[in-house]
Amino acid sequence: MENFNNQKPPKSWLVESILVTLFCCLPFGIAGIVNASRVESRFYAGDIDGANRASAEAKKWTMVSFFIGIAIAIIYFILVIAGVASAFKIAGAANAYS
Amino acid sequence: MRIVNILKWSIVIILIAIIAMVYRIFNPIHSMFFPKCPFFVITGFKCPGCGSQRAIHYLLNFDILKAINENVLLVLSIPYLFAGIVFESLLVPSDKILKWRKRLFGQRAIIIIVAIIVAFWIGRNLVTNDIN
Repeated sequence: MENFNNQKPPKSWLVESILVTLFCCLPFGIAGIVNASRVESRFYAGDIDGANRASAEAKKWTMVSFFIGIAIAIIYFILVIAGVASAFKIAGAANAYS
Repeated sequence: MRIVNILKWSIVIILIAIIAMVYRIFNPIHSMFFPKCPFFVITGFKCPGCGSQRAIHYLLNFDILKAINENVLLVLSIPYLFAGIVFESLLVPSDKILKWRKRLFGQRAIIIIVAIIVAFWIGRNLVTNDIN
């Protein structure tokens, strides 16, 4: 059996997964971390194909988490802007009557 | 292809710089333009990432104690994540580096990380219930 201890495993997306878990508040980040763990265990067990598949899965969940996080932030920002705009409108209308 | 890469990374760096400036100048507590954590809004419980934005604000203003108070896990994870980026960026690592990579970022390390995240998640909701 080949020794894989002197080769580099495929990208496990661990750092990215932890970052999205901390910043996006989403369970998808955990899915990324679990797949990062699979990359490591499969690679060192000699299952290179499995490790590559887990790497692709980890990437997918990290990306899903990242873009959902970005989308929530943008939607939130638009809602706040809309809320501020309508608040000014109401304030403006109130001023017109006083 | 190389020019496209340089352009791409320039845009990324400029974006990060702008975001860092915004987070340095504005405290998420006093401004409503920063997104709230959906988990906290829905459940009333803090998630492992709650306080990250405020922690970043304090870190960028070099107030490490306040940052730790907001999210200690984020502050502690920074050197680890930085090491992870360095290890990942080495294209042809030596055997010694690979050994350390396996120790610090291998399967056992990841299981410990998940355990820490879950423990922090539960613990921070048990210890305090104040909204900050």
